[in-house]
Amino acid sequence: MMPILFKRSYTYIFSGTLIAASIIALSLWGLRLGIDFTGGTLMEVRFGDTPPSEQILNDVVTRGGGRSIVVQPSENNAVILRYVPMVDEDNEKIFTLLKELDENVQQLRVDFIGATISEQITSNALVAIALSVIGIALYIAWAFRKVSYPIPSWQYGLCAIIALAHDIIITVGAFAVLGKFFGIEIGVPFIAALITILGYSVNDTIVVYDRIRENILRARSVANFEEIVNISINETLARSINTSLTVIIVLIILSLFGGPGLFYFSVALLIGITFGTYSSIFIASAFLVTSHKLSHRR
Amino acid sequence: MGDIPIDHFFVMTLRRKITLRFSLVVFFAIFVGAIVYPHAVSFVPPLSRALEKLQINLGLDLQGGIHLQYAIDLSRVESDKKEDALAAVHAVVERRVNAFGVGEPLVQLAKSGTENFLIVELPGVKDMDAAKKVIKETPFLEFHEERPQEEVNKILAPFNDNAKKRAQDILARIRNGEDFEKIAREFSDDPGSAASGGDLDFAQRGMFVPEFDAVIFDAPLAIGAVYSDLVETQFGWHIIRKDEERWEGDKKEVRARHILIAKANAEGIPDVFYKPTELTGTYLKRSDVNFGSGGFQGGISEPQVLLQFDEKGAELFADITKRNLQKTVAIFVDNELVSAPVVQSEITNGEAVISGNFTLDEAKNLSQRLNEGALPAPITLVAQQSVEASLGQESLALGLRAGIIGLCVVMAYMIFYYRFLGLVAASALLIYAATMITLLKFSSLLPQMMSITLTLPGIAGLILSVGMAVDANVLIFERLKEEMRSGKSTPYAVEEAFRRAWPSIRDGNYSTILTSLILIFVGTSFVKGFALILVIGVTVSMFTAIVIVKNILRFALGMWSEKYKWLLMFGAPRTETEKESHA
Repeated sequence: MMPILFKRSYTYIFSGTLIAASIIALSLWGLRLGIDFTGGTLMEVRFGDTPPSEQILNDVVTRGGGRSIVVQPSENNAVILRYVPMVDEDNEKIFTLLKELDENVQQLRVDFIGATISEQITSNALVAIALSVIGIALYIAWAFRKVSYPIPSWQYGLCAIIALAHDIIITVGAFAVLGKFFGIEIGVPFIAALITILGYSVNDTIVVYDRIRENILRARSVANFEEIVNISINETLARSINTSLTVIIVLIILSLFGGPGLFYFSVALLIGITFGTYSSIFIASAFLVTSHKLSHRR
Repeated sequence: MGDIPIDHFFVMTLRRKITLRFSLVVFFAIFVGAIVYPHAVSFVPPLSRALEKLQINLGLDLQGGIHLQYAIDLSRVESDKKEDALAAVHAVVERRVNAFGVGEPLVQLAKSGTENFLIVELPGVKDMDAAKKVIKETPFLEFHEERPQEEVNKILAPFNDNAKKRAQDILARIRNGEDFEKIAREFSDDPGSAASGGDLDFAQRGMFVPEFDAVIFDAPLAIGAVYSDLVETQFGWHIIRKDEERWEGDKKEVRARHILIAKANAEGIPDVFYKPTELTGTYLKRSDVNFGSGGFQGGISEPQVLLQFDEKGAELFADITKRNLQKTVAIFVDNELVSAPVVQSEITNGEAVISGNFTLDEAKNLSQRLNEGALPAPITLVAQQSVEASLGQESLALGLRAGIIGLCVVMAYMIFYYRFLGLVAASALLIYAATMITLLKFSSLLPQMMSITLTLPGIAGLILSVGMAVDANVLIFERLKEEMRSGKSTPYAVEEAFRRAWPSIRDGNYSTILTSLILIFVGTSFVKGFALILVIGVTVSMFTAIVIVKNILRFALGMWSEKYKWLLMFGAPRTETEKESHA
């Protein structure tokens, strides 16, 4: 049996550092919002040969009526242009101008999102996040409705939610860093990833807590709550690791081989679910013990 | 002979039942296998040919094509006519898109909050600008009447307040000593004098509007002085400086300069000058081209577009012409003023004429567009996604590759860790993947609105669900280990493990299903494509991981499993003595 809980301070320092770093990164740089939320156009074009310089492309888009231009090179002579057009017709005009630069240029995709739609997407995303948080909180409350010993059931729920917040904050912080240094923009897929992380990560936590409840009933005494928690974690360890590992494996494969369209989506899921597994094992239960100790000291 | 022991009889039937169920699993596996890979049954050509016809509906992001979202502006449509107007927009656009001749276009109405949208999906379209044009060319026809002056003033008031404030600022700058001529050149809205620094040359009384004359001829204004106030005229606000005076005979002539900050003029802004009526393209029956008789006056006949309204349209038109006698009625096509004839008499026959200096071709074109259907409400493009076919195929190929690699690695991991049980779980995972593809293929037989479309995020959901599908097996097998440690025989421990692991499996999937459902209800198409597949996947995997694995194990676990426990899975308790030492 591994003394997982007895080195609590290390995991607290590790997680605390990551969370502090995430919050600092978020407040310093924020997230780089994609066209889903800001509105605008994302046009991917493939040139016949080496693409023109960023400066030239910038000029072309400006002449076509685009503002707030970001030029980003992609694979195989492709370039991703991001800008805010005045009207939809500008997209056509810009492509015509690109054709003058290189007549072999090929339009791979054009995503255009008008201001009304981006506002709607933003509010939908916020509603989805709010609903998910409420839904998960209710789910936890329901799952622990019968557990109230030796700490009240709301504390189980609270610890589970703290563990979830931990996973989400670190994932969002990672994307603040990716946005700052690699220009990664977040869109609707990122929100979907966060919500999926919420739904999946809570399971491991609940399974560990279920086992704790079972073992408390069996022990008929909570003289050593910490040890019971530690036994429960160890008993569910193989299960927690194996279930998460298969998901983590497919997510690694998806990020490596799934192509550019799914890369950041799978990276977001990967970060969140990896930290979700870690927090279910090391944070969520450790918090139970800390919370138990604090309430007994009083 | 004759007296078979009763318990033997039960064993026989139980065994038969288990065999029967196992055969069902095998049959199911063959069935889904044949659907996924019709080539496997190529020895029965009609069957394989029929199965090959079953194809997964691919989203635009995987097969290439364009997705267009238009906002429908219903603000000018009466509230009880809104449904009709939406249906008319749908019908008109669908007709035009079908005429364009792409694979299987999808035209559907969508509503979000108070806003109405029209979604058009054109799979496999190469030339997206041509496609967009076809829809954009659907004309929006409406008739406007002149807006009463008070309403016009109300609309223009904020603009004019602003202009007046600007004029006051400029006057203040001049009074502070800034150069009049320079400012006139820069700011004056009088095109005739701005270039010359506001100079109006010598003029006699009566050449300007009275308010202006009053300042330069009557007011006690010294030569070279700037009039202390703004002077308001019908044109706007003037800042005036008197430069010279002379007598031409007995007539006084004054040379002045001015800076004009113009008032907004409704006649230059059709949207302000006119207001919409109820008469729109909805009530149009037919359109023709003819040559206007009026045009003959110059010896040239002018092409005109003739409109014939239906009964309700004729009524509305009669009404409009009646209340606007001797005023103009404006005809707008696609929000642009095309012509604004003066109404000479009430028109009751439901015929109208648009004579907007057309060439013959322009007139023919407009008339044809109107005949193909005019929109009752204007639509504007608010979102668009287009994917080139090659990029779509690339995404599909990459997604498939990732899926196959993911499936193989998870299967390998399960076999490595859980040995025989892992092999069973891996077979169930293969059956799971085939079941998902079978469901996707069968759903393409359903009507368009109900069928499941596989998109790129859907592939992500499918691959993720492969990783989640074995979760149930991990739970069962870990439970099995514990049951075996407590000394139960293997087949009995298997039954116990399934029974006891079930609540955890169920609870574990609830939260994933919950968040996926939230994503389906509030998400965009990306999110829906992902979450829908994930929900279906989680549900189907509960079936494959439990029902299929259970029936295979019941069939396959005999006495050998007692003897070779190490073969069952990694970490399986081997002997009774080992169990003792554990406890």
